[in-house]
Amino acid sequence: MIVPGNNVRLSTRDSREFEGTILPDTNNEKIVIKLQSGYNIGIKKTKIESIKQLPKQMKKAIKKEKIKYNKNLPTVSIIHTGGTIASEVDYDSGAVIARFTPEELMGMFPELKKIANINSFLLSNMWSEDMRFSHYNLMAKAVKKEADKGADGVIITHGTDTMAYTAAALSFALEGLNIPVLIVGAQRSSDRGSSDAFMNLLCAVNYIAKSNFCDVGICLHETSDDKSCLILPATKTKKTHTSRRDAFRPFNAEPIARVYPDGRYENISKHATRQDKKDSKIKVKPFRENIKVAILKAHPNLYATELDNYSKFDGLIIEGTGLGHIAINEIDKHTGENKKIYNSVKSLAKKMPVFMTSQCNNGRINMNVYSTGRKIKESGVIGDHNDMLTETAFIKMAWLLSNYPKPMVHKLMMENLRGEISPRSLEKEFHFFNNNQ
Amino acid sequence: MELDYKKLGFKCGIEIHQQVETHKLFCSCPSIVHDQNPDIKIERRLRAVAGETGKIDAAAQFELKKNKMFIYEACSTSSCLVELDEEPPKDVNMDALETALQVALLLKAKPVDEIRVMRKIVIDGSNTSGFQRTMLIATDGYIETSKGIVIIDSVCLEEESAKKIEEKEDYVRYRLDRLGIPLIEIATDASIKDSEQCKEVAGILGMILRSTNKVKRGIGTIRQDVNVSINGHPRVEIKGFQELKSIPKVIEFEIKRELSEIKSKKKLESHVRKADPDHTTSYLRPMPGAARMYPETDVPPISLTSELIKKIKIPELLTEKAIKLEKKYNLPSQLAQEIINNEDFETFVKKYKISPNLIAKTLIEIPKEISSRFKLDTNKIHRKHYDLVFDALTKNKIDESAILEILTQAARGNEINLNKYKKIETSEIESEIVKLVKSNKNLSLNALMGMVMSKYRGKLDGKKAMEIIRKNID
Repeated sequence: MIVPGNNVRLSTRDSREFEGTILPDTNNEKIVIKLQSGYNIGIKKTKIESIKQLPKQMKKAIKKEKIKYNKNLPTVSIIHTGGTIASEVDYDSGAVIARFTPEELMGMFPELKKIANINSFLLSNMWSEDMRFSHYNLMAKAVKKEADKGADGVIITHGTDTMAYTAAALSFALEGLNIPVLIVGAQRSSDRGSSDAFMNLLCAVNYIAKSNFCDVGICLHETSDDKSCLILPATKTKKTHTSRRDAFRPFNAEPIARVYPDGRYENISKHATRQDKKDSKIKVKPFRENIKVAILKAHPNLYATELDNYSKFDGLIIEGTGLGHIAINEIDKHTGENKKIYNSVKSLAKKMPVFMTSQCNNGRINMNVYSTGRKIKESGVIGDHNDMLTETAFIKMAWLLSNYPKPMVHKLMMENLRGEISPRSLEKEFHFFNNNQ
Repeated sequence: MELDYKKLGFKCGIEIHQQVETHKLFCSCPSIVHDQNPDIKIERRLRAVAGETGKIDAAAQFELKKNKMFIYEACSTSSCLVELDEEPPKDVNMDALETALQVALLLKAKPVDEIRVMRKIVIDGSNTSGFQRTMLIATDGYIETSKGIVIIDSVCLEEESAKKIEEKEDYVRYRLDRLGIPLIEIATDASIKDSEQCKEVAGILGMILRSTNKVKRGIGTIRQDVNVSINGHPRVEIKGFQELKSIPKVIEFEIKRELSEIKSKKKLESHVRKADPDHTTSYLRPMPGAARMYPETDVPPISLTSELIKKIKIPELLTEKAIKLEKKYNLPSQLAQEIINNEDFETFVKKYKISPNLIAKTLIEIPKEISSRFKLDTNKIHRKHYDLVFDALTKNKIDESAILEILTQAARGNEINLNKYKKIETSEIESEIVKLVKSNKNLSLNALMGMVMSKYRGKLDGKKAMEIIRKNID
């Protein structure tokens, strides 16, 4: 009788009566019940005197929108990776249920059908924080499949935690990309009225349908307001806030475009267009799943053993301080360990590519300014003058190691392949958000 | 027309919402409502989230049709990212929960074994998230009234909503300082027998809430919603009562309105109305359905163990406290009931060797008289003024009759010079009065009284003056 979904009347030893639906949270100690008032409460099993089963309520059909193909509209494929962008509340159980079929999605967001023909499916349930390289390969292959079927663009719904890594990974893995791919997430889940999911999705569909953009991008809120979204460059973007809607920011780059929910958009920076790519063909260059690349954050009081841990790895990114530094100088009686660190760095750089990025996020590596930087360079660390984000450098190195021989990896790490290294640092990049808020 | 409640099939229940005096329910922001200039402004839209039943709640649908932009204004002093719906809630404010449990126990309600925080969907924009966080704390309590027992169905703890500032065709403007203040909600069953009992219930519930000494006081800190139905008319909820006194009149008008609606043979629907200042009501929105709650997954459930409940101190009811004060200090019962709200009364009694009755009268009746007679703001009378008066009375420097005058000066914001009210020996005054009476033999008693009082106001009690004049007139 104590089965989730059952309607019951419970009598307790202190002569109270509760009527409602048993919920799945029920365990050995307590029954969790949704009362008729809508409130959930937990009742200790030891307090229950009797349970009477009541007839089940009939559930009504799920709202589905019939889909008609409109040949005048572009076709957009929405690939879900299990985020909560398309979830609804089941009021009987209070659980949140995901809806992924095109019919269900259109039932929730009927406005989309005026903009594009939507294909929608669940690729696989992946928590973004749990993702591995194999998931990138799954997504890349799915994008190619949709493009081959004739999709005019692809949207991937994705958890925000590692979304920026995925964006970079797809940028590299999808060689010769000839359609736009936008990764969309939400910082407030779509089971609440205030969710940013819908506007983010709406802006992404609009931008694919109306613009000429042809690359991988990220689409989320520009500000805390529900006014506009930004299309952000896949290899230059980072999640910079744990919870705000406008958490995603570009570094050493400007946003690609600003999109309004009504379909208007403004391109902000130069980007690849469909004309540029009309002769190209997508080739998936996947990640090798057993490639081991590590990220080490330089910090005060570092120990050489922290580096030595990675001696069996294939590559290392050092997220250095400032212009690209790590403690390697023995300057007084307190800094003997630093000498060991230097030796460790040197020994690692002999075995694998060791690449320098900066904890500053903004700005470029320059290992010539201080003698420390020069010494690090001499030890074999590469990356001088690059302005890549640590996350992008990590993905790029893993991808290069998956697809190129080692000497090429060293060389290509320093070349701009997908917009990950900008040739010039522009004044307005750092101030973009100061000037636009 | 006298209403026959039984014959009408009158059903009535009341919900009380009371703000708790502590920081906000799910963040550390102070619970202050103020009118500082906002330094934060955001614009949002809300979207109805349909249930699995494929049905969007009637109240939600009603709000959605308006498709309005919501403008939220906030001050950093009283709102953080939690109010802006940009950060998940923190743990439940345990202070607020303790107060809610005290109230539950005073209502003899039984706490639930495990609290589950819920999201109640509200998409009129008054909550930035699109829902109000609420939790059921206790059920099955009761209170005793002069017309019998009224059952308390539930005691809940919830978040206060944002305050609406302006509503236009295409947008609504809200202020966020009020959003998130802890609110205790008490709901009775529908067994209230008539409009007078409803007012009594509201009074008792208010008294019980105040007994915790941890609830906010003042305009807008307590609100009543009354549910009314009669045979042939579905339930109507009335919000926004200006004062307890107005409850019976509003209910009676509502019954009359419902009766005429029934006669009109229209299709009647359950809905929410607003109490207007003239005691009539006006349409507000459709009745929200029950199917609008789902779990707040960001806050873990809270177990209410018997050990935890045992630790809750049950405060003394204000009514009981009044009876105690009445006996202890020999106060008239009305005065005792009023003085319980005064935190300083017992301190003054201990500090000054004057009668508790006089202290109570000075604290309660004198300010009332000043406000009704001179239309002055008695909030300007501070503790220091009372200390001044009580000290002078203890040292026999002034007469009782000077209190009104001195405190009136305080209410006017004037400096107080006690020398002006210096007590004069009665014998001294008596000889002066005798002189006056003798030199004005042709004047009436009242005229003489006027002359004496204009000279000795604040120094001599009126009664005593009359006595002396009478004695000397013959």
